[in-house]
Amino acid sequence: MSTKGTHIPDWLKVPFAGITPAPTQEKGQDLFPTGNWRAIRPVYRDKMPPCNNACGTNEKIQGYLDLVKRGKYLDAYALIKEDMPFPSVTGRVCYHPCEQACNRGQYDEAISIRAVERFLGDLGQALPHDVVKPGKPNGKKVAVVGSGPAGHSAAYQLARLGYAVTIFEKSPKAGGLNRGGIPDWVLPQKVLDREIERLIELGVTIKTNTEVGKDVTWDELKKNYDACVLAVGLIDSRGVGAEGENKAGVIYGLPFLRDIGMGTSKVKLGRKVAVIGGGNTAIDCAREALRQGAEEVTMITVEGNADEMPCMAEDLHDMLEEGVQLLHGRAVTAVLGNGKIDALQLHPARFSGAINASPITIDKQAAAEKFQAENVIIAVGQSASLGWLPAEFKNERGLLKIDRFGRLGNTNFFAAGDVVQVGSGQPLMVVNAVGDGKRVAFNLDKVLRAEPLQPRTIPLDVITDLNRMNMTYFPHFARVQQAMLPPTSRKRTQDEVIQALSEHQAVEEANRCFSCGTCNACDNCYLVCPEPCIVRPERSNGLYKILVNYCKGCRVCIEECPTGCLEGVPELDFDTGVTRMDTAFAISPGLHGRQAAELANLADRPAKQI
Amino acid sequence: MPTAVEKKRKVRINGCVASAQAAKYADVDVVTAYPIRPYTATMMAIAQMVANGELDAEYIVADSEHSQLSIAHGASSSGARVFTGSSGVGVQFAYELYSPISGSRMPVQMMIADRTLDPPGDFGSEHTDALSTRDMGWLMGWACDAQEAFDNHLMAYRIGEDRRVLLPQMVCQDGFFVSHITCDVELPDTGQVKEFLPPYKHPYPLDPRHPVSHGPQIMPEQGPPLQLERARAMEGSMAVIEEVHDEFARVFGRRYDPWVEEFMTDGAEVVFFIQGGHAVTARHAIRHMRDRGAKVGMVRLRTIRPYPTDRVQEVLSKFKVVGVIETNMGLGSASSGGSLYAEVCASLYESAQRPLVVSFMAGMGGEAIVLKEFYWMTQKMLEAQKRGKIEKRTHWVGFEE
Repeated sequence: MSTKGTHIPDWLKVPFAGITPAPTQEKGQDLFPTGNWRAIRPVYRDKMPPCNNACGTNEKIQGYLDLVKRGKYLDAYALIKEDMPFPSVTGRVCYHPCEQACNRGQYDEAISIRAVERFLGDLGQALPHDVVKPGKPNGKKVAVVGSGPAGHSAAYQLARLGYAVTIFEKSPKAGGLNRGGIPDWVLPQKVLDREIERLIELGVTIKTNTEVGKDVTWDELKKNYDACVLAVGLIDSRGVGAEGENKAGVIYGLPFLRDIGMGTSKVKLGRKVAVIGGGNTAIDCAREALRQGAEEVTMITVEGNADEMPCMAEDLHDMLEEGVQLLHGRAVTAVLGNGKIDALQLHPARFSGAINASPITIDKQAAAEKFQAENVIIAVGQSASLGWLPAEFKNERGLLKIDRFGRLGNTNFFAAGDVVQVGSGQPLMVVNAVGDGKRVAFNLDKVLRAEPLQPRTIPLDVITDLNRMNMTYFPHFARVQQAMLPPTSRKRTQDEVIQALSEHQAVEEANRCFSCGTCNACDNCYLVCPEPCIVRPERSNGLYKILVNYCKGCRVCIEECPTGCLEGVPELDFDTGVTRMDTAFAISPGLHGRQAAELANLADRPAKQI
Repeated sequence: MPTAVEKKRKVRINGCVASAQAAKYADVDVVTAYPIRPYTATMMAIAQMVANGELDAEYIVADSEHSQLSIAHGASSSGARVFTGSSGVGVQFAYELYSPISGSRMPVQMMIADRTLDPPGDFGSEHTDALSTRDMGWLMGWACDAQEAFDNHLMAYRIGEDRRVLLPQMVCQDGFFVSHITCDVELPDTGQVKEFLPPYKHPYPLDPRHPVSHGPQIMPEQGPPLQLERARAMEGSMAVIEEVHDEFARVFGRRYDPWVEEFMTDGAEVVFFIQGGHAVTARHAIRHMRDRGAKVGMVRLRTIRPYPTDRVQEVLSKFKVVGVIETNMGLGSASSGGSLYAEVCASLYESAQRPLVVSFMAGMGGEAIVLKEFYWMTQKMLEAQKRGKIEKRTHWVGFEE
């Protein structure tokens, strides 16, 4: 009997016929660590979704859409509030570069991110107390000049960091461009009021009717505060340089909207109104003019056609729906009339270079046209009003001289928002001002804590595109459309034109999100793994784990990852986490492992004992 | 047991049909088939039984013997009692599966009706087909007639499925000499079979409700303990085989020696060592020669795996000359003849009284071994006894003076 007297040592005990118990999700196949066969290791690495990247303040859009999908609205609201103080505002007014960047746009239709943001913002508005709390007071005081988007954002972030923040606002009501530049039927004032209340709840002091340079001086700011953020915006309206531009009945766009917003407007429009300009403010002015009683509104632009207008296409569409006329390729060369306006004199015009960004060439040789109008609203842009600023902080163009961190020289003064971004190529939009305010707040904090400054608040990352994703998993699904007031009824009312999404619609829309490059806990990897090499304590991003001792690197999970979060990383890039074999095949507790251990100890022993 | 034996009856069937009957009595769950002469007749008979409702089994016709055995392996893993079979080159084509099936300890039963391996297409009986797989961990033995074939099938299931064993079995019979020659076979009462053969129950079958991994990848160092355990199972089966033969005798009233049949060995000085159906002819030859004073007998090996080394030594040491009738090819082997010689010599090496051993290449290619040839072989053994020395290790019977 050859097997008589044989015994199998404990460390080599194997189950009957090698029949192993069912691999459990905790343990995998304990006996056979095949991880050392692997050349490629699957790694979960959340990459930058294009929406987050495109957002002016890098809201974690994919993140909050994912939370909305799961019905975790409060968590979603808290996440959005990390980067955006007033989602109820941007949820209405934002020019949503996120939606332009949305990968879904190349597949069927972009996610209606703004509508979901508004859903969350309105949810936040209804909360008795905001989820955001002020930071532990650090005893430092910061002044913020201007309560528009940039100032609001900077004050908000600074309050969260523990600073005592005071905002100085020239106007009687806080809000800046949010109040003065956006009509009520886009952003109802009570929504903005609530957001400003939230800011005050955070401990921010807002001093209205206080103008820098007049009610508070540069030196006072410097003396009384540890630091200051200048977010004064662009408040001077640009003219068109037409003859008779100073006539009564000539109105400038932003003051027109602002006075209506502040409730101080005394404007009474005639029947026929012309709006000069092709941007978003011009569109708001034209639509507001209808609501202020004008019967016929025409927009006169230098741009040769509607496509060239530097505005949001959907707003242009809504405006045309409301009946505003367009007249392209013209410039106003004179405002005609005696005392009051009769008509405008127009000449053919074009941009001399790049559209929207170069001097205008007016063909004065051509025959002048007369355009009948009783009022003209000029909305061709604004400029900064910086008379109070010490000359040393102005550049050759008379604008703020700041470094790439938004800092004025070596001072503790920072600047943010349109006043900084004008001419930078960045569209002068609410969300970009918010992002700038946030960056500046963080940089200010770093300066006061003597930490190195960082030009970016988010790391440079791969932007996930469709090629990185597995589109097999995404059925086509149309975008949920927000309801709108019918054009005929909205012309004479200040009621909001665009309606909110219902909860059901918001979830449905969030469900369309691809979660580009980011794990959304879909469980696909967990399910497709041919062996139970992927484990999870619960279904959640960050909680999936690859059992590296067993994963053979078959790549199935990587190929089948719908979002492209899973990547194959060459095993040679790692020096930890794998059971390294002492020889090609042996596992460490096994025979070869033991031999290797013995060999390793040989040198320590005296020769005679070997 | 009067009630249990009530319905037993005697029928006149050939070996193939006897095997089919055995499968039916064993109430097999899965039958996997692929046709090749001569065993095909078994599958034809089973197909009829399934078709007419005599046997409730899954009958799967595979696309080759390789698939046939693969299906058998899978079916057995799921806990089914499996019956399969083949002949000749068909046995060879499934070769890959023999070690995995025994290694995973699946008691698949395979009926073999021997057929000579090619070339060229010879369909006569020769044991090389099954014998070539003898070291793959299957229990193996030859029957010499249809009744013994029937009985061996039932016993092999009981042995192979025993928890102490769990090994596959090759139940062999000579092609044509047994498979196609009818003889009287006593078919038992089903109650007897129920009493003798409990239902098959593997300890860890594939079952979605209790999942396990069969045949996972292992590390080289995990191979030796598994091989040792398989060797233990093979050795351990010897006690079970003996138990089961006793139990068989108790239930069915037919007693077989589990290892060797001794025929007229009392007072014999020279003996044939033989497997399978040619033993029937040998018995006639021996009787005839005994009448004429030759002290000749026969030792028929019934179970070659596990090989009963000690028993063979004990039995053969009584004689002066052993003539091994090979009926198999062992080209270039120890005797340069067949493969049985080496096994016989090995078992005798430690004996204090070693007989002379000579090997006969007879019955090759499925040719019958006729009486005249048994006389000739006896003559050779007697000459060697007289001389005290063998003339040569291997004789090619029919080709020498």
